[in-house]
Order: sequence, then structure tokens, then C-alpha cells
Amino acid sequence: MSTKMDSIWSKLDRKSTAIVEFTMRQYRTRISTWVVMGASVVAIFLMLLFYIDAMNTEIDAIDNDGDSFDTDGDGYPDGQERLEGTNPNSDGSFPSWVEPDPPEKWINEDDIEWDNLASGENYVGQDDDGDCLSQDTSSQRDSNDNNIDCDIIVTIDTINGTIVVEADNNVDEDPDEDKYGKEAGHRAFILGIGKFGIVFLLGIFLPLFLATGLIREEITEGTIHYMLAKPIARGEILLYRMLGYLGITWPFIIGLCFILSIITGFTGPGDGFFRWADLGVWMTIAWAAMMVSLVYGTIFCGFGIIWKNGVILAILFAAWELGMTFVAILSGGDSSIRYFSVIGWGMIIVDSGVAVCWPDNWQLIEVGLWGGGQGEANWLGEMEYAALPGALPLQTFSGNSGLGVSEWIAFVISTLVLLFQGIISWFIGQAIFKGKEVN
Amino acid sequence: MPDMTQHGKAETQQWQPVANTPVVMFDRVSKTYGRINALAGVSIGISGGVTGILGLNGAGKSTLFKLMMGKIKPSSGAIRLFGTDPWKNPAPYSRVGFVPEHEKMYDWMTALDFITTFARLHGMTRDEATKEAIRVLSFVSLEEVMHKKIGQYSKGMRQRVKIAHALVNDPELIVLDEPLQGCDPLARTTIMNVIKELGAMGRTVLVSSHILHEIERITEQIVILHRGRVLALGNLHAIREMLDQHPHKILLDCKNPRGLAKDVIDLEEVTGISFVNPEKLLIETKHLGEIHQKLPQIIVDSGQIVTGIDNPDDDLQSILMYLTGGSP
Repeated sequence: MSTKMDSIWSKLDRKSTAIVEFTMRQYRTRISTWVVMGASVVAIFLMLLFYIDAMNTEIDAIDNDGDSFDTDGDGYPDGQERLEGTNPNSDGSFPSWVEPDPPEKWINEDDIEWDNLASGENYVGQDDDGDCLSQDTSSQRDSNDNNIDCDIIVTIDTINGTIVVEADNNVDEDPDEDKYGKEAGHRAFILGIGKFGIVFLLGIFLPLFLATGLIREEITEGTIHYMLAKPIARGEILLYRMLGYLGITWPFIIGLCFILSIITGFTGPGDGFFRWADLGVWMTIAWAAMMVSLVYGTIFCGFGIIWKNGVILAILFAAWELGMTFVAILSGGDSSIRYFSVIGWGMIIVDSGVAVCWPDNWQLIEVGLWGGGQGEANWLGEMEYAALPGALPLQTFSGNSGLGVSEWIAFVISTLVLLFQGIISWFIGQAIFKGKEVN
Repeated sequence: MPDMTQHGKAETQQWQPVANTPVVMFDRVSKTYGRINALAGVSIGISGGVTGILGLNGAGKSTLFKLMMGKIKPSSGAIRLFGTDPWKNPAPYSRVGFVPEHEKMYDWMTALDFITTFARLHGMTRDEATKEAIRVLSFVSLEEVMHKKIGQYSKGMRQRVKIAHALVNDPELIVLDEPLQGCDPLARTTIMNVIKELGAMGRTVLVSSHILHEIERITEQIVILHRGRVLALGNLHAIREMLDQHPHKILLDCKNPRGLAKDVIDLEEVTGISFVNPEKLLIETKHLGEIHQKLPQIIVDSGQIVTGIDNPDDDLQSILMYLTGGSP
């Protein structure tokens, strides 16, 4: 067994390394390779400029509860007067025993503090500014009737995927927009550029320009005859050419994601020196893009073998995949049709990676969507909360696998599905190539 | 384990040729494209020596070679290379060298790179491949320029690189598709000598051409294809005899045709001379072969610069006229 394996391998890899090396050198000599890669880098770094600009722009703080105003004009902000027990509406009543606070102290003074939420009812929240605890009656302090003063009930229904927030008055009502917006915006940028820019656009444009002609150009130019007139099966030629293609595209994808993770890791918000958790998200984005470009590459190369204008088939396929990208991103994991695409599985890789590296991501979204509980009831009587900045984009670009299994298993399953798609595509491609008459 | 270092010989189960079969065998092979018969019931068996495959453009030469090289599938009949069907199994190519007619090459590679890379597809290690590549490059006298990019080569040098590439596995069968097309006279001579040498080494060589006198200078064993059928097969001499009754024309491109004409007119084989335009000299003869042998020396002695030699009255056409009784 082992000697036979040795012998098959030792001769196969001589041929495979020859074709892989040759293919990679061929890519390096082509201008189109550099144009495609250069254009991708330029496009992504332009997006990065917007991101860096956003990260360096302060988001205007909003005084949600209005207690930074000095209604009676006695020099003390309303919030401070309420806390000290004086009347904020009378200029004769003020806490003379303390210095008046600057009004900024009473903006963003009651941030949202939710612990790790679990399924079922959670009692969370903390009244930092005392405007709940200082209220007179216990029914005012416990308007959600759970016998705990000044808290928030967050009810999570994992079966239906709904979350209901019932807060006592004036608890966590004035969050820090800038802090939240930076964090959510940072994550939304990574997921947006990662899912759409890298996994889809890069994952489909690299194969479109680099893989479609992998065999087709050789046939058109007649140079395929040098390869076909050798003791090597056509299926092997296809396989090794594909490996050469991956030898160029995969390092490019990994390198690009690594550079992006470094830049965003240092410029992103946070107390730490570097956002280490982001590194994992970037690497799952890179992995998804690698898998997706493998499948697209094999399919497009096959299209090139079938028809001399195979790029037309590739573009039609890309249109389907573009639709599936929107379905997969916008449905947030609730759509089943995305399973009939390549990109849908790529998105599952990213989503499961996010769930592992940012376990608090979904909670961050819910916090932002509640946004301190300000809002209006609609005609059905349901509250429509004003979301904090960044919460909606983050919600848009986040998703879940929808597979009903743990994140790690979803990651493995989606990777295996993509590998399987790639192998099937290669198998069909080599069958077509074998039966192809090359003139 | 994968043999990444690539040292030593690979121990693989070798494909073995079937004993006692011709190197190339076509058994009633037909190939149709729609309603066009590219090849109709061709049966040939070839082993050893140089064989010229002659035919006009579209006679089926390229189809014959494509079938032989497993690029296309026969519509009916059987093809065997060393007893194996090349469409189904590429293994016989370990003993075959193929020179395609396509002009396009990998211009960004050096000749040494090109041949080394493709030698590795025969299962050679890097070292073996480099050694063999240098050997074949010196065989076609290109070892001095082997580190130059193929894109910088002249047409004749490119042809020689293609031939060298086909010889790198020391093949028993060498197939050359129109190897002399578009080459300058010097390259033609070099390539012809290489082919003759290969034949003398006992290899089976197949050369296709649509120009008779080129083949004539390489071999006497010919197959004439016409409209997808084998029209004649065997020794050229007999056919040649018949041909001498027809007058032939040779067209020379040169700066001073009148200066050259006075040297040419003295030859006894020349039956007539005319000036088509100020830079062309037309020679008429009944002995094409002899004229082609003497002409280079005359041109050198006269000191004229001749930029092109052509046979406007294609002599293959004449053979075909004769063999088909006047309906080529």
C-alpha cells in the first residue's frame, strides 16, 4: 500500500508541481492579473478611507432625557436638582450645598448596562443618574411590575427569535451615542466590506478574470497542445491549473484581509491597544472568500472549457449569485433559497465566525435597536424605538447560520459544502474537458 | 509522501507498449465535421524512418495528426499508438514528441525554461529535465541563446525550440506539423538536417507539408492525402519521374533581378526567364530538384540579396492533377 502510494505520488507531484509553478508564473507575467488585483486593492482602500474618516468623527451626543437643561435658570441642571431633591422648576429651590454641575455631565449620563443575556426573562439595567430611584412612589419606580425597582426586563424567546424589552421609567435612558456608534459602525464596516466586498465581489471577480481563461485561453491560442501532448490526463491538467490559480488568489486574499485587520484593529474603537477579536472575524472572512473563489474558479474554468464565450455563462451565474448575496445578507439567515447558491454558504462561514469571535454581537444589536427606550407607539400600540447610530447597519450585515447547530459545526458544515461544490465542479469540468475535441 | 525535493528516479508502474504492432496504426479511420468528410476510411501503418505526409491545405493532414495526438475523436475506425488508443489513454505520449503547427508560444519564457517545464510533465525531476533540455537545445544548435526569451527569437529559432521541446523525452515517434512553414532558408536547412538525423537514428518521424520539394529533401517515403483519402503511399521516385514532364516555376524576390538573371540563364535546367516586376525574377524549369540544389550557390556567388524563394506553380498540385486525372 505505502510503496504504491509513494510511487503514484512521487510521479504525480512532479507533474503537478511543474504545472502549478508554470501556471503561477504565467499569471505573474500577465498584466490582467495585476490590473484585477490592483483594482480590488484600490476599491477596498477607498472604502477604508470612509471608515477611517467615520472613526475619527465624533458622533453628536443627544440628551435623550433632557436633564442637562436648567429649566428654572438657577444654574443647576435639572438632573442634578432632581438627584439632590430640590425643585427643578423653581429658581428659589436649588442644592446650595454643592457646586452646580456643568450641563455636559448630564448628557449621556445613563448608559445601557445589560449583562450577558440568556434565554427567558433577564432583569438587567442600572439607574446611574438616580432619576428613577428618586421618584416618589414605588409604582413609578417599578412600572414593569417585577418587584425590583428601576430595572429592565429583557425577555428572549429563542424559539420565535423575538426579544421584548420592558423598562422602568428613566433606566438606561441616556446612552453614549458616540461610544455605541463607533463600536457598531466599526463592526458593520468589517461585516459589510467583508461579506459584500471581499467574500462576494473579490470572491467572484478574481475567478471571473483569472479562472475563466485558465483552459480556454490555452485552447484559443493553441498552446494547449504543448500540455495535451504529454502523458498526463486532462483531468489532472485541470486540477493542477486550478491549484496554480489558487496559488495566486489565496495568498492575495489572505494578505489583503490581514492588512485590513491590522489597519482596522488599530483605528477601531476600544480600550485595548489592538482589537484582537477582530482578527478572528477577518480570518473567517478570508477563509470564506478563499472557499468561494475556489468554487467560482472551478465553475468558471468549466464554463471556459464548454464554450469559447464561457465568460457570458460566468456573468449570468454571477448575476444569480449577486441576487443570492442580497438574499443571504438581507434575510439575516432566515432564507432557505440561499442554500442553492455558493455565496449563501460563504456567508454562513462569516456569520459563524462572527458568532465565535464576537459572542456579544447580537446583544449589541439589540441594545442599539432599543436605544434607551425613546420612541413612539405606532397605530398598533407597539413601541418603535429610535435606534442608536450604527445599530441598523450592524443588524443588516449580521446574520446567523440558520442551520440550527452550534457555530463551530455551522462553520465546518458550510466549509464542507463549499469543498463539495468545488469537487463536483471539478469533476464535471474534467468530464467535459475529456470529451472535448480540441482543434 | 509527496516527493517535493524531487531527487532520484520516480518508481512508477510504467505503461508498456504492445509488442509487435506498428508505431502508428490507422484502421479505416473516418472523421466527419457535420457533413464534411475531413478523413474518409484512412488505413495506414507506419514504423521507423521519416515519412512525409503530403497534401494541399484541407486535405486532412491536420485532422490526421489531431487524431493521432488524441485531440479529436474518430467518427469511426481505430487509431493505435504503440497499440494503445490515444483518445482514451494519454500514456503513449511518454514515447511521442509532437511539434504543433500553431505559431503561438509562451513568449515570456526562456527556451530553457520552456523545455524544462514541459519535460517535467513526462515525470522527470527538475535536475533531469534541465539536463535533458540542455541536451536537446544543443541538438538544434540553440544552446548559446537558450537563456533568451522565446519572444525575442526569429521564426526559425522558434520552430527549432518547438522541435527541441518535442525531443526532450527521447521519443520513438516524432510528429511534426508543417515544421518548415514560414522559415528562412537557413532555418529550413537546419530543421531538415535535424529531421534526417532523427530518421537515421531509427526513430519514426512523421512530417507534414504541402510543398513537395521540401519533403523530397528529407525523405522518399511519402503518404499523399487528398480530400480525406490516401491517394498514394510509398516511394517518391516513381511519382517524381512523371512530374518532370511538367514545367515548374520558381519566383525569386531580389533587389536586382537582371543581375541575377544572367547567372541563372546559363544553367541547362532553366528553360525560361521573365521579370514579373522590377524586384521579382521568374525562372521556368523542368528539373525543380536540381535547380533548388544549385540556386543557393549561384545566389551567393552573384552577391545578390534574395529575400524570398517561392514556387507559385505548386508542384504538389501537379502531382495531384496527374494522380486524379486532372481534377484536383
